[in-house]
Amino acid sequence: MTVVAADVVAVNGLGKRYGRVQALDEVSLEVRRGEIFGLLGQNGAGKTTLVKILLGMVAPTTGEATLLGCPAGTPAARRAVGYLPEDHRLPEYHTAPTLLDVYGGLQGLPRAARRQRANDLIDTLGLGRARGVRVRGYSKGMKQRLGLAQALLHRPDVLFLDEPTDGVDPVGRKQIRDLLLGERARGVTIFINSHLLGEVEQLCDRVALLRQGRVVRAGRVAELAAWKGTWLVEFASPPVAAATWSTGRLDPPDRDGRQRFHPRDTEVIAADDAIDAFVAEARDRGLSLRHLERERGTLEDVYLEFAATPATASETTP
Amino acid sequence: MTGLVRTFAALVRDTWLEFLDSRSLWLVLVAIAAMFGVALSIRVEPRPAGRKYLDFAARALSTDLASVDLAEATIGEVAATFDGSVAWIQDAEPLPDTRVDSSPRAEAASGAEGPATRWQVTLVRAALPVIGRRVETTEIRERFGTVADGRLWRVGEITETTGRLGGTLGTQTWELVAEPGDDLAVLWPHRVTIFGGALDVTSAEGAPLGLEIFVLQKLLATGLGGTILLLVSVIVTAGFVPAMLRRGTLELLLVRPVRRWQLIVGTFGAALLFVAGLLGVLVAATWLVTGLVSGLWNPGILMAVASLLLFFALLLSVSVCAGVVTRSAPAAMLVTVAYWAVLFIVGILHAQAAGSRVRESLVGKPRPLTVADALRGRAEARRPLEPDRNPFHRSTVGRGVEAVYAVLPHTTDLDAMVDRQLMRGFAVGGRLRRLLESGEFSWQAGVALSLAHLAVFLTVACIVFSRRDP
Repeated sequence: MTVVAADVVAVNGLGKRYGRVQALDEVSLEVRRGEIFGLLGQNGAGKTTLVKILLGMVAPTTGEATLLGCPAGTPAARRAVGYLPEDHRLPEYHTAPTLLDVYGGLQGLPRAARRQRANDLIDTLGLGRARGVRVRGYSKGMKQRLGLAQALLHRPDVLFLDEPTDGVDPVGRKQIRDLLLGERARGVTIFINSHLLGEVEQLCDRVALLRQGRVVRAGRVAELAAWKGTWLVEFASPPVAAATWSTGRLDPPDRDGRQRFHPRDTEVIAADDAIDAFVAEARDRGLSLRHLERERGTLEDVYLEFAATPATASETTP
Repeated sequence: MTGLVRTFAALVRDTWLEFLDSRSLWLVLVAIAAMFGVALSIRVEPRPAGRKYLDFAARALSTDLASVDLAEATIGEVAATFDGSVAWIQDAEPLPDTRVDSSPRAEAASGAEGPATRWQVTLVRAALPVIGRRVETTEIRERFGTVADGRLWRVGEITETTGRLGGTLGTQTWELVAEPGDDLAVLWPHRVTIFGGALDVTSAEGAPLGLEIFVLQKLLATGLGGTILLLVSVIVTAGFVPAMLRRGTLELLLVRPVRRWQLIVGTFGAALLFVAGLLGVLVAATWLVTGLVSGLWNPGILMAVASLLLFFALLLSVSVCAGVVTRSAPAAMLVTVAYWAVLFIVGILHAQAAGSRVRESLVGKPRPLTVADALRGRAEARRPLEPDRNPFHRSTVGRGVEAVYAVLPHTTDLDAMVDRQLMRGFAVGGRLRRLLESGEFSWQAGVALSLAHLAVFLTVACIVFSRRDP
């Protein structure tokens, strides 16, 4: 594999075996500088193992990985990396300032710089009023924010975030998303592992799907969640019952009153012509349309479809 | 180097906060403070013993006591240098003004016969005309009350009052003022009470102040106080490494540009530094409190900081190793306490074996009456030792114990080093003192073996930690 200079993360044929369990199998991917990259997969797919190998916490069985041009896991590589693990447990006897002071010291930051940076992050992440409170008195959301603060403390070039908004309220999530987008604008590369697919879709430029230790699909979010050829419609009058019209099929309305329309003969008729015919038919039936939109695929659809599909032989064969 | 210093400083901050968060530690510190509060209520009252100590001091005029160790020398050895002439005190009266110094001890003794009392002494030296020699006043001033390298008494004003007849017969008389020497107080018998005199805790009738303070310092520093502090420190620190290795916490440390062995050694060093501070305060407070209540400021107890700290470092290395291997605080604590128990039991048995060897060396020899015993009023020497039919050090168990002790850290030797210094400083004698001075204990071996064990445990911990996936 050719390592491109803009690759912050480069993984080639990475494998990890724990006894008889193949946690990772021939994983190859790259993440470009300034990208937000999403890693998706069911529990036990190998996401955390991949991240830990990149961070040097776990040694690979086969393959190689580089991080910022250095072999993954070396102190030099870790110097510019920030990490927020899933289910992180911050020492409860600390307050936010003392915790960030300790982590900043371990990161090698001089005292004045780390204290200033810590104060800024505490305020930015909404922890200013709890400055003197010990972590044991924090809510889950507060712990998550503090966890994010320790990852950002030393202005890393690469961020590895595992469920970064776990336990955070919707306003907080927006703040964190904005923060991460700000980091990307600064040129930081972000590696996200999240089950909140809507959030992944909002943030990530590219994603990869892991199953049983293998990358089974990867690409840009927009490419993966393409238009499926159906429409979402809503009528002004009470919803129409499911029916088959001459122009296509109407599904039953959902609880919001929206119905899916499947145009017929889409191989023959252009999509725009099919929807024009539908609108005309609705008018002929005396129905008034309130809403009409292309039904785009979502990452959740892709994920659920992928999760429902059995693993192929090539995926399961070691 | 800057990076290492920053790493260590960060681990110190983290570890110390973890210590301070421990309720057990605070409870123990409060308990120890209460113990010192009780110690401060100690009152020492001198018993009347001036004449006895003056008589002994006068003996120095006719006997060379310069090489005598008050705790170890025997009456027989003292008497061996008896030069045939006799000196005795004809009369001695305590002088009303006892304020030789302004120490609390002196103030307490003001008005009573005690180690701060000055005496008016009439000294008479009778000599046989044939072999008598004249004793100069300067000799009286130099030798009266001089024992070993210390002074029980000093001579203030002195005037020879030998009459013409006495001079002809070879008899000399002096009038002198005997002032307490620097080493008198440590041997003077005192009554010891606590709670403002409500409870008498004197260890033995006529026990010298030095012995009482030796016992008190042992209790506060190397005995109960030190043991409780070390035990709680072991319990508290047993959880440090397992907490660090917890899933979710370990990752936040391993992501730092710090090598794994630095985390282990740094946490070890930080915990050691904290306990060093606690031990320093404990021992310094012991020295301060016992000095305040007794006026005796023997600095020997300060060595206890080093011996206690080395012992804790050894236990901490065991705890760290067990914590890395088991990842369990209770398991680490149990392993450490069990190791401590083994060292304690083997140490006691080794001391018994050493005592058995020393005893064997004394079989058949006359058991001496020490000068300190005589000063305490004991009049008769004990019978010579009979041989032991089955000396412990020659038994199977004894040999086994010595074989095990040879490879374990000689922590008993470290305690012995401190005890020996204390006993020397407080002029405490007896069987334990003879054992400690017998050469059976080597603090050098204690230090070397303790450091070797410590290094092994820490090395194992670093190796296991470096190979383990979080």
